[in-house]
Amino acid sequence: MPASHLPDVTAPKSELAADACAQELTRLRRRLDRERSSRLEAETIAENGLRELYAKQQELQLLEQIATAANQTISIRDVFQYALTQVCEFMGWPVGHVYLLDRTSHPQRLRSMAIWHEAHPERNAEFRLATEATEFAPDIGLPGRVQTTARPVWLNDVVDDANFPRMRSARQCGLKAACAFPVLTGQEVVAVLEFFAEKALEPDQRQMRLMAQIGVQLGRVIERRYSEDQLIHDASHDPLTGLPNRALFRDRLNQVFARSKRGKAGFAVLFIDLDRFKLVNDSLGHLAGDTLIVEVAARLQACLRREDTMVRASSAVEGENTLARLGGDEFTILLTDIRDPTDAIRVADRIQEALLQSFTIEGQEIYTSASIGVATSAANYRSADDVLRDADLAMYRAKAMGKARSELYDQTMHLVALKRLQLETDLRQALQNSEFVLQYQPIMSLKDQKLTGFEALVRWRRPGCGLVPPGDFIPVAEETGLIVPLGLWVLREACRTTRRWQQEFPQASHLTISINLSARQFTQPDLVEQVRRVIEEVGIDPRTVRLEVTESVTMGNAERAIRVLSQLKQLGVRLSLDDFGTGYSSLSYLQRFPLDVLKIDRSFISAMSHSPESLQIVNTILNLARNLGMDVVAEGTEREAEVTQLKAMGCDFGQGYFFSKPVDATAVTSLLRHSDGFAPARQLNGERPEGHSLESLSELEARDAAVEGLPERFPTSV
Amino acid sequence: MKGVVFNLLEEVVTRHHGEAVWDTLLDEAGLAGSYTSLGSYPDGEMQQLVLAASSALSLKPAAVLRWFGREAMPLLAGRYPAFFDAHQSVMPFILSVNGIIHPEVRKLYSGAHCPNFSFEETPDGALLMGYDSPRRLCGLAHGFIEGAANHYDQAIEVAHLQCMHQGDPRCLLRISLT
Repeated sequence: MPASHLPDVTAPKSELAADACAQELTRLRRRLDRERSSRLEAETIAENGLRELYAKQQELQLLEQIATAANQTISIRDVFQYALTQVCEFMGWPVGHVYLLDRTSHPQRLRSMAIWHEAHPERNAEFRLATEATEFAPDIGLPGRVQTTARPVWLNDVVDDANFPRMRSARQCGLKAACAFPVLTGQEVVAVLEFFAEKALEPDQRQMRLMAQIGVQLGRVIERRYSEDQLIHDASHDPLTGLPNRALFRDRLNQVFARSKRGKAGFAVLFIDLDRFKLVNDSLGHLAGDTLIVEVAARLQACLRREDTMVRASSAVEGENTLARLGGDEFTILLTDIRDPTDAIRVADRIQEALLQSFTIEGQEIYTSASIGVATSAANYRSADDVLRDADLAMYRAKAMGKARSELYDQTMHLVALKRLQLETDLRQALQNSEFVLQYQPIMSLKDQKLTGFEALVRWRRPGCGLVPPGDFIPVAEETGLIVPLGLWVLREACRTTRRWQQEFPQASHLTISINLSARQFTQPDLVEQVRRVIEEVGIDPRTVRLEVTESVTMGNAERAIRVLSQLKQLGVRLSLDDFGTGYSSLSYLQRFPLDVLKIDRSFISAMSHSPESLQIVNTILNLARNLGMDVVAEGTEREAEVTQLKAMGCDFGQGYFFSKPVDATAVTSLLRHSDGFAPARQLNGERPEGHSLESLSELEARDAAVEGLPERFPTSV
Repeated sequence: MKGVVFNLLEEVVTRHHGEAVWDTLLDEAGLAGSYTSLGSYPDGEMQQLVLAASSALSLKPAAVLRWFGREAMPLLAGRYPAFFDAHQSVMPFILSVNGIIHPEVRKLYSGAHCPNFSFEETPDGALLMGYDSPRRLCGLAHGFIEGAANHYDQAIEVAHLQCMHQGDPRCLLRISLT
């Protein structure tokens, strides 16, 4: 016991003892009170701590459950339903509902997902109906407000709120208070959760924090779904046009094919290839080319849509036609519910018509057309791939037949395809095997009916087939690129032969030789060098060499064409423009091209006699040429009358059956040897007597044409 | 049993009979008597205290529990007013025990064994409450009910239709307003 507590020694012992005890008691009591009060305070702190802890654990559990569901579940619906139920039960909100943002609508608006949590479903029927039927634009109603502000909204009394369209049904169902929360992906509101209760709801920091976290979780679910959808979409659609790509098209084709095997529904595949697309791409650039593809796709789509509305009106079964882009300038269409092939042909025709109108690309008016191949289920195919293959074959035929055409596949096309394959193979060997020969068609001066030169024309003596018409192998040579070595061979051979004639026969020393340059050759970067080399090797005077190009060659990339032509001119050669009048040349470019000769296409010449317009055109071309300082050669002069007329009109030269068909080198050599200069060329034709009737002349021509094949020249297209 | 029940018992005894009596009960029961509200203590100790109180106050153990329950109610109302203010009368209050009160109890006092009551309303407006717990504290429940009625200024009647102390599988109380 401390000294200060020692009793006063003057008091009686018992009193002192009692005093001490009383003081002690007081102190003890105070100590007890202090302890008790500390303990009670500690207990209160502990209780609050436990309450906090419990609440946090519950929140965590809720978030974890929702996170787990979000990570596992397949559908957005399931996740949202689960989350909604959990939240409602946790928060004690009797009614909950979800909206999802419809990204396809303009402006983007929230749509009811028809996902509800209702403690008493029967009480909410009216409200539920009203909710699902209402359109909530941004700012309108509870969800609209959340959408605009991207923040939670609390309403104390929905019935008393100015911006609550569902007031009546809410009142009917006894709903009073509401709160709504955004589901965010970044800054964007992608969904809204709304809750209702019959009594007031106080905004609670903890609840708002929790809902914000849940909003983020759910936002991620949506974001992931959008990404997945986007990936799936990208994998099956063409990036430029957004159309289904080859993979998706084949998928659909397989489905439709299987379906048609089971039932009676017919279908058709249209294979669409744009004609001369490469020309646009090369001349206007790839960006313009892409724009054209997009615009063509839009037009094709429009055709299909019209088809859909027409077919749907008349048929009971709903079909789904598919337009796809396979790549490049190739499109395919799958038509379902086709009753017979004419339905498909009708669509093809409609497409052809739609493509007649020009496209405006980068301020330029561009025309295009398509070659369309059609194959239908009527042919009883074994596999879907076969249908596609045949549509493709039919398309090639359409292209070969002259473009801007539609062809329905038939079985001969297979044979044609096989034959073509064989032809290609043989063609590759032909040059090595020296199967090509040149023939020469005289070009005559109309003034004095004297021989001025020849045009070299290539022929193919194919083993087992005889002479192959140029129309049959030249296009193939172009497409396969074989035209390049072939063209070079022609150039060399023709120059060499002509040089020989020039040297051997003095009267032939100024004979000219005209050689065709194909579009493909024209694009070769080393063309000029090749020509120079040949001229040097052969030793021919370049002034006697005429290189013939067609209008399409000059039209492609005009600046480049001018450059190349100028370089060729610098070698000393002359330049001719072939088939003039049939292409698209612009007169301004014509002026800039360094050309020496204009060759009028045979169609004008033959029409001259019965068509005043053609006569005028020929006249105009002659004037044009004269003004530009160019010589003119009339192609395809067959009749004396034509020749006389042309001569009178001032045409310088003529080439055609009237004078001679193309003949081989030995015949020319023979003529030059036995003539005393430039005798009338009709001597070349040996068997043709004077004054031959027009009818038999054309018979002769027809026979020759059958052997030689028309056209006798390289094609005008690239 | 959670310490808070012991705290309540101490407070009730102390208020009505003074601290010394509580000390005596502890001595009689042979217990240290240090109970913190959130702690857990053997059920047996509560039984011992009830027995000690029974002899000290000359009441049957069941009566002790009933008295305890009744007198503890005002203390509970003071500590947790929210549970009481949520209702205007005793019946809804009683019905909220399972759904609201006991879950809250468990929040704070983890591991607390709160019994689950079954409720059934009779056609004449009485409430049948089923109680099934090995602790057999139906007396306490009776007291709590009476205490609750007092809080709401209502007169009720509680009858033990069945009792585990009588060998029944569970207790069944009939509660009716008078």
